[in-house]
Amino acid sequence: MSGVLVYVEQVGGDVAAITRELLGKGRSLADALGGPLAALVIGDAAGNLAERAIAFGADTVYVVSNPALAGYTTDGYVAAAKAVVDQAKPALILAGASFQMRDFGAALATDLDAGLAADAIDVSVEGGQISAVRPSHGGNMINTYAFAAGRTAVVLARKQSFAEASEQAGRSGKVEAVALPAAAIRTQVTSVVPKSGAVNLTDAAIIVSGGRGLGNKDNYYKLIPTLAEALGAAYGASRAVVDEGWVPYEHQVGQTGKTVSPKLYVACGISGAIQHLAGMRTSRSIVAINKDPDAPIFRVATYGVVGDVNEVLPLLTEQLKARLSR
Amino acid sequence: MHIVVCMKQVPRDNSVKLNADLSINADGIEKIINLFDEYAVEEGIAWYEKHGGKLTILSLGSTEWTEQIRRALAMGATDSLLLSDPAFAGVDTLGAARVVAAAIRKLGDVDLILTGRNSTDDESGAFAPALARNLGWPQITYVGKVQDVNPATKTIVADRSLEAVIETVSSPLPAVISVIKDINSPRYPSLLKIKRVAKIDPPVWGAADLGISAADLAPAAVLSTRAPAPSRPKGEMITGGDAAAKVSALVDKLLENQVI
Repeated sequence: MSGVLVYVEQVGGDVAAITRELLGKGRSLADALGGPLAALVIGDAAGNLAERAIAFGADTVYVVSNPALAGYTTDGYVAAAKAVVDQAKPALILAGASFQMRDFGAALATDLDAGLAADAIDVSVEGGQISAVRPSHGGNMINTYAFAAGRTAVVLARKQSFAEASEQAGRSGKVEAVALPAAAIRTQVTSVVPKSGAVNLTDAAIIVSGGRGLGNKDNYYKLIPTLAEALGAAYGASRAVVDEGWVPYEHQVGQTGKTVSPKLYVACGISGAIQHLAGMRTSRSIVAINKDPDAPIFRVATYGVVGDVNEVLPLLTEQLKARLSR
Repeated sequence: MHIVVCMKQVPRDNSVKLNADLSINADGIEKIINLFDEYAVEEGIAWYEKHGGKLTILSLGSTEWTEQIRRALAMGATDSLLLSDPAFAGVDTLGAARVVAAAIRKLGDVDLILTGRNSTDDESGAFAPALARNLGWPQITYVGKVQDVNPATKTIVADRSLEAVIETVSSPLPAVISVIKDINSPRYPSLLKIKRVAKIDPPVWGAADLGISAADLAPAAVLSTRAPAPSRPKGEMITGGDAAAKVSALVDKLLENQVI
């Protein structure tokens, strides 16, 4: 076993941001392991993804291309990955931590009898020892796992954990086609429909969230989306108001909703229950607006304003519109 | 048909502490059914009520946590099974999946397994896929709606709720399904039903019953350090003046520090 294998996710025909992060981190990990940095492309038409992965640092790209791999299935993608692992024999496999990748990564780790760190925020190699860091308990505990020698390590990394690899035009590498083994794909995907009013909170750079302090559903919809619009943000909500039925579950931030880590998180009328903090405490900057000066949200806030959200938010929206000229 | 719901006991909140041996100390925090598993219990009961057969609540953990298993029985489950053994203590998610898979094989007649998308303490989301692969069964994870379970054709059709899309997937049975929060509204068991199950103790299977040794459960990812998350750097309260003045000061700060 040697080197690192990065699973290539694609967005609009190019390598996804998470893949650029993993290729960047993977490069230094592969060097530390004294092995190659390989990438894995699975799909029905790989296009120029392999070349793109090489431009971002991969030495060898293994491509498993087959009409049966047009859409993700656990059986198909795990079979394809195992065929590549047989050939590349990586010590470490890196992938993102989206729902699809968690489905894939846990299945692959089980089949390979590998070690698994899901939702990792760091991974390192020291003296040949591979370790990964992952939070648990709503982000309250930070755990480091050391992978046993001789067993493959599978690490699924949270977005924005690493710097993206920079593109090196004209970089050359090897592309190897690997055949999909004759494996039964038992599940069948019969439709894929974009979520209506899609709120991909996990991808948003700025999130404005509202909580019970808004008083009622009307105030939420009057104030939160308009502030979000002024900031070019997506909007979220606390569990309390989702359970009240003000806002669909899709918008819930917290331990039982989405875990987010945006550049800026604006918490409006949210007290900051442990389970909410679990979903947003790793945001780069946090603005909290709440009328209770003792609200726990202020303990994680970068900037805190004590005040009634129903008074503060219209002023904030107005100022931002004027000064950001949106 | 025989439906099994896998359920984990977790602390109600995550204000846990650390023991000297790096294990988690949740003393003094109420223990509850993992929230996502409670939705799996409700979903299992609904399909059991439609098709009949048997609904077994299966849990791996301490023999002390019968209260929540009884709660699931009061909600409508017909059977329960607890996997408990000193050899299982501190087992990781992949190890837990191995233990549960052995129990499912021993039960023998299971058609469908439901569980939550992840536990709210460990949060890896690896249990359902690992269980499915151990059993050699197909899996449908992050399910927001089960459209149909058909015992005659032995198929299940379910909608997976991913970050940006809904994916409809059909699978042959037996299969493993993991569910998200808004799939249903878990029922409250009636007082009468709670009373009726108050004395039921779930049968307990240990490592020997399952033919599992501690060596089978040796993790490939070994916990080496664990520490409470560092607290965030102290922030700044914007004070002085009326709401408009505070808002101006806030926007100044955000622009100055290139937050926006």
